[in-house]
Amino acid sequence: MSPSQQPTSTNPSSLKNQFAHRFIRALKTLNHTKTGAAHDHNQMYRRSIRVKIASYTAMASVVGSRRAWSRAVLWKIIKRSRNQGLLLRKRKRRNPNPKREDFNPFRNSGQELKLRKLVPGAETMDSWCLMGETADYIKCLVAQVEVMKTLVDLYSIT
Amino acid sequence: MEKDGFFNTPQPWNSLFGMELESQVNEMNCSPEQLPNCFLSRNWDHSMDQSDPFESALSSIVSSPVNSHSGVPIPASENVVLKELIGRLGSICNSGEISNSTNTSCYNTPMNSPPKLNLSIMDHQIPVPIPGSLPIPRNHQLPPAPFPADPGFVERAARFSSFGMNESEFPHMVESGKVSRRVSNKQCFKTTELSIPIPGSDKKFSRELDNSMEESSLSEQIPIGETGNGYKGQNSNSNGRKRKAIPKGKGKETQFSTVSAIDNKTIGELEKEESDAKRSKSGEEGNGMEKEKEKEKIKEEWNRNQNQKQTKEAAKLPEPPKDYIHVRARRGQATDSHSLAERVRREKISERMKFLQDLVPGCNKVTGKAIMLDEIINYVQSLQRQVEFLSMKLATINPRTDMNMEALLSKDTRASMLNTMNHLDAPAQPFYGLVHARPENPLTSMMHHGSNMKSSQTHGFGEASAFWENDLQSVVQMGFQNQGPIFHGIMGTGQMKVEL
Repeated sequence: MSPSQQPTSTNPSSLKNQFAHRFIRALKTLNHTKTGAAHDHNQMYRRSIRVKIASYTAMASVVGSRRAWSRAVLWKIIKRSRNQGLLLRKRKRRNPNPKREDFNPFRNSGQELKLRKLVPGAETMDSWCLMGETADYIKCLVAQVEVMKTLVDLYSIT
Repeated sequence: MEKDGFFNTPQPWNSLFGMELESQVNEMNCSPEQLPNCFLSRNWDHSMDQSDPFESALSSIVSSPVNSHSGVPIPASENVVLKELIGRLGSICNSGEISNSTNTSCYNTPMNSPPKLNLSIMDHQIPVPIPGSLPIPRNHQLPPAPFPADPGFVERAARFSSFGMNESEFPHMVESGKVSRRVSNKQCFKTTELSIPIPGSDKKFSRELDNSMEESSLSEQIPIGETGNGYKGQNSNSNGRKRKAIPKGKGKETQFSTVSAIDNKTIGELEKEESDAKRSKSGEEGNGMEKEKEKEKIKEEWNRNQNQKQTKEAAKLPEPPKDYIHVRARRGQATDSHSLAERVRREKISERMKFLQDLVPGCNKVTGKAIMLDEIINYVQSLQRQVEFLSMKLATINPRTDMNMEALLSKDTRASMLNTMNHLDAPAQPFYGLVHARPENPLTSMMHHGSNMKSSQTHGFGEASAFWENDLQSVVQMGFQNQGPIFHGIMGTGQMKVEL
C-alpha cells in the first residue's frame, strides 16, 4: 500500500483471514438457526439481509474500534439488536473524533455528502477524517468482497 | 566596570526617550568611547576615528525619522527610536570599517539573526564578501556602501529589525531557542551567543557589545522611564508581554518571521538584505501580514540556501506552547493564519486523496478532487452492492452446503480455503487443486445449473458489473484454461442477480 498517515495496522491477508473466520462462524450459526426453508422468496430475502449484516458485522469486528466506521457499524448493530429486544435506552453517539468545526462551507452538500452517507459513521467528520475513513473502509470492503467471492465459489462448487 | 558603564549609559537613554535626539547621539558618543576599553583597540580606534564625521549625519538620520514619527503612538515611536539607535550603531560600525566582526556583529545583533544561530552559522559559513570597503565578517550585515546610501539602508534595516524587535526583542540572544526578552537579557550578560569568527576575546567583546546594544535598545523600547538596574527584568517582562500581546493570533508567523528576518541578516548578501529591507519597509508601511509574507519568503529562500540545522532551530523557536502544527507559508502565498490553516487542511486532504487514488482502481490518471470524489463514491457504491449481491448468493447457496461449511470450518480445509482466498487475485493454482479434490457430483450439477446462465452473465449487471466483471472475467479466463465449468456456478448466480 502507498504510504499514508493512517495506521495500516491490518494487512489485507490477515484481514481476510480474520474476516473469513468470523463470517463463516456467523453463517454457520445462521444456517443452524434457520431451517432450510429458503426457497420462499421472502425468507430468502430476509436471509440474505442477515447474511449481509453478518458480513458487515464480521468485518467491523475484525477492525474493532480502531476506525470510526467500524465503531459506527457495530453501534448500529447493537442498537438494532437492543431495539429489537425492546431496550429503550437512548444513547447519543458522540463524534469519535471531536475536532473543531471544519471550515469547509460546502460540507453538507455535493459529493462529500454522498460519501458521508455511504461510509458508515462519517456524518459528523471533517473532510480529512472522512478521507481516511473512506480509505480504510474501501480497503476492508475489498477484502470483504474477495472473501465472500471465494466463499461463494467454494460453496457453489461443493 | 565596562559593563557597569554600559548599564549606566542606557539610563540616560531611557530618560531621554522621546526627547532630543542629539542628546541621544551624545549618549551614543559616550558609549563607543567605553568600548575601546572592552574591545580590541584596533577595531575600535577605527570606529572611533570614523565615527565622528558621521555623528552629524547620524543625528540627522536619527532626527528625521523621529520627527516624522513624532505623532505616532508610543509603540511606533519606540520602534523609531530603536531604529535610530540601531541605525546609528550600525552606521558607526559601517563607517568604522571594522574588520573584526565583533563590532559589527554586536551592533548588528538587533538586526541580525540570533547569535546562537549565528554561532552555528559562522561555524559553517564562509565570510561573504560584501561590496564595499569592509572586509565583511560573516555576520556583518550592514553594507559598507557609501555613507549616503547607509542612512537609507540603515533606516530600512532599523525598521526591518524593529519589527522584529517588537515581537521578540533579541531572540538571537536566546540560547536554547526561547524567544523571550528576559532570556535574551540574561544572555547578554552571560553567554557568547554571537557567532564570531574570532573566538575567545572577541566573543567576550561582542557579548559586552551585545549588552550595550541590549540595554540601549531595551531602554529605547520601554516608554516608561525605568531605572537601568531594574529595567532589564522589566524590559523582559514588559517586552515579553508586549510581544505576546501584539502577535496574539499569529504568534507563530510573526515570531517565525522575526526569526526569519533575523536569520536573513546572517546571510550577508547585500542584495538580499536590501531587498529584504525594502520589503520590510514596504511591509511595515503596509500591514503586518505583508511583512510576514515577505519574511516568510525570505525565510524560505534562506532555508533553501542555508543548512537545515538553522532552519530547524529557527522553526523551533517560535513554536507556541500549544499543540499546533507549525506551518510555513510558501513563497507567493498569503500568510494569513486562516489561509495557512486552510492550506494545511487542503494539503492534508489532497494527500489522502492520493492515497485513495491508489486504492480505487482506474483513478491513476484522474486529477481533481471532484472527479476523484465521484470515482470514490462510485467505487464504494459498487463494493457495497457487491457485498449485497454476494450475501444473497450465500444466503441461497448456504443451505445446500451445510456439510461443506462444517468441513470448511474444520482445520483440514480451512487453511487451504484461506490460502485460496488470499491468492485469489493471482492465478490460483491451489484453488484448482482444491476444486479437483471435490466430488464430481456437485460439479456436474453446477454445470447443468450454470450452462443456462452463460448468457445471463451480461444481463442484469448494473454498475457494479463493470468492476465485478473485470475480476470475474479474469477468473473466468483462468477457469476456462483449466476447468471451465467451475465458474459456471458464478455465472449461474447472475440469474439471482436479476432478481435483485
